Amino acid sequence: MESISLIRDFLKDRLGVEPENVVPGAMLAELGVDSLMMLELMFEFEDRFGVKLPRNLKAPRTVGEMVTLMDGLIAQSKS
Amino acid sequence: MSQRRVAITGLGLVSPYGGDLADFFRRLCAGESAVGYLLTDDLPRPLSIPFVTSPGFDPNVTLGKPLAGMMDRYAQFGMAAAFSAWDDAGLPRQSDGECRDDWGVAWGTALGGTMAYEHGYRELWQRGRERLSPLTVVLGMNNGANAQMSIQFGLGGVSMSHTVACASSAIAIGEAFRRVRSGEATVMLTGGSDVPQAYGVARAWEALRVMAPGDAETSANACRPFSADRRGLVLGEGGAALVLEDWDHALARGARIHGEIVGYGTTCDHSHLVRPEAEGQIRAIRLTLADAGLSVADIDYVNAHGTATAEGDPVEVAALKAVFGERAASLPVSATKSMHGHLLGGSAAIEAIVTVLALRDGVIPPTAHLGELDPACAGVEHVTTARHGPLRAALSNSFAFGGSNAVLAFRAVDL
Repeated sequence: MESISLIRDFLKDRLGVEPENVVPGAMLAELGVDSLMMLELMFEFEDRFGVKLPRNLKAPRTVGEMVTLMDGLIAQSKS
Repeated sequence: MSQRRVAITGLGLVSPYGGDLADFFRRLCAGESAVGYLLTDDLPRPLSIPFVTSPGFDPNVTLGKPLAGMMDRYAQFGMAAAFSAWDDAGLPRQSDGECRDDWGVAWGTALGGTMAYEHGYRELWQRGRERLSPLTVVLGMNNGANAQMSIQFGLGGVSMSHTVACASSAIAIGEAFRRVRSGEATVMLTGGSDVPQAYGVARAWEALRVMAPGDAETSANACRPFSADRRGLVLGEGGAALVLEDWDHALARGARIHGEIVGYGTTCDHSHLVRPEAEGQIRAIRLTLADAGLSVADIDYVNAHGTATAEGDPVEVAALKAVFGERAASLPVSATKSMHGHLLGGSAAIEAIVTVLALRDGVIPPTAHLGELDPACAGVEHVTTARHGPLRAALSNSFAFGGSNAVLAFRAVDL
């Protein structure tokens, strides 16, 4: 749950995307997240949750994939 | 090789007065200063200096969040000015079918993305963070502004930045001019922008003892070029852009032509990093006149570099006297930095716009706050209140630290 709100905050703050458009099925590219913005989003996520993303990470394509990825990493770091 | 004529079809800036281009020029001609007082909350000691800000400029509104977020503030100023100039030229933001593969950008900036790196240092050293946002690299690079312009307008030709201190945008404009004149480029977007209030930058300028002092009450009159009581220069943030276009191309699409750029000359004093020498400036002015095919009798106005430093102003006047000879005494000269401040890499661009508007509208804006003339600066016709009347051709001087000199020549469109 924390992940989706981080993604919503980030997209609102950086790209002016309205939170109601940030739904699991939405394509990140269509919301304006290019490869550079993806790096920035990953950076913010690492910062906020104190986790480290693996270098060979496969970039998620949808908001849903991003949430799954982030929730997994958060759970891992807590265990 | 036959040379093309080069039309100026677009002018744009982020006005330090907050209004549009016409409002900017009107206020300038009225002698109204845009210089304010900057008091920051920087640690360990706040900046407290006369400064030109653009308080009404909100990059998120002007550029939109996604674009603004990919740029340092210097590039945001540049991009906003470029959009304004491009729209003024009547060109669509993206090509409507015409190939733009030989269209390009030449942008001037002395400092580039300094603010992005300064933000990074604060994060690391003041806030104890261990790492920086990956965007810092693209925000900090000096070609960030011109790269974004090429993307936004779909320009496939040269995209370059010029860093030559206070002459950065004069050289950018000159190099752009040459490319259109030679036929290498059909259209060149050019100009410059800078944001000199980075804490480390402003402190360094203070240490050089060339900045005019001032507080909330006195800052508006702090920059007094050629004046006996001048105390130095006033820095400012901002950006200004011009669209240079092959004359025939401009005519063919029915573009409004503001003026013609006809000459460019650049030299180096090759003697001292900061002490200007008349000899290098004289060569630059003569090169420009020769390049433009103009004689001293053709020049009706000179927009001076005129920063209001103790050393710079008399040397510039000496150079003008040497070049113009007997004509110098009646040569109208003004230093508009007295009102819009010194934008470093953006200076020559904003002054090029002022010079083009002076020619187009037949009005010479004054040097503001020039009460008692320094005798060392006498010998030219100092314009202290706006002067109206048709003008044929004009020069704009830019003389930089490092000894680089660049002069641009403009001609009014036939009346």
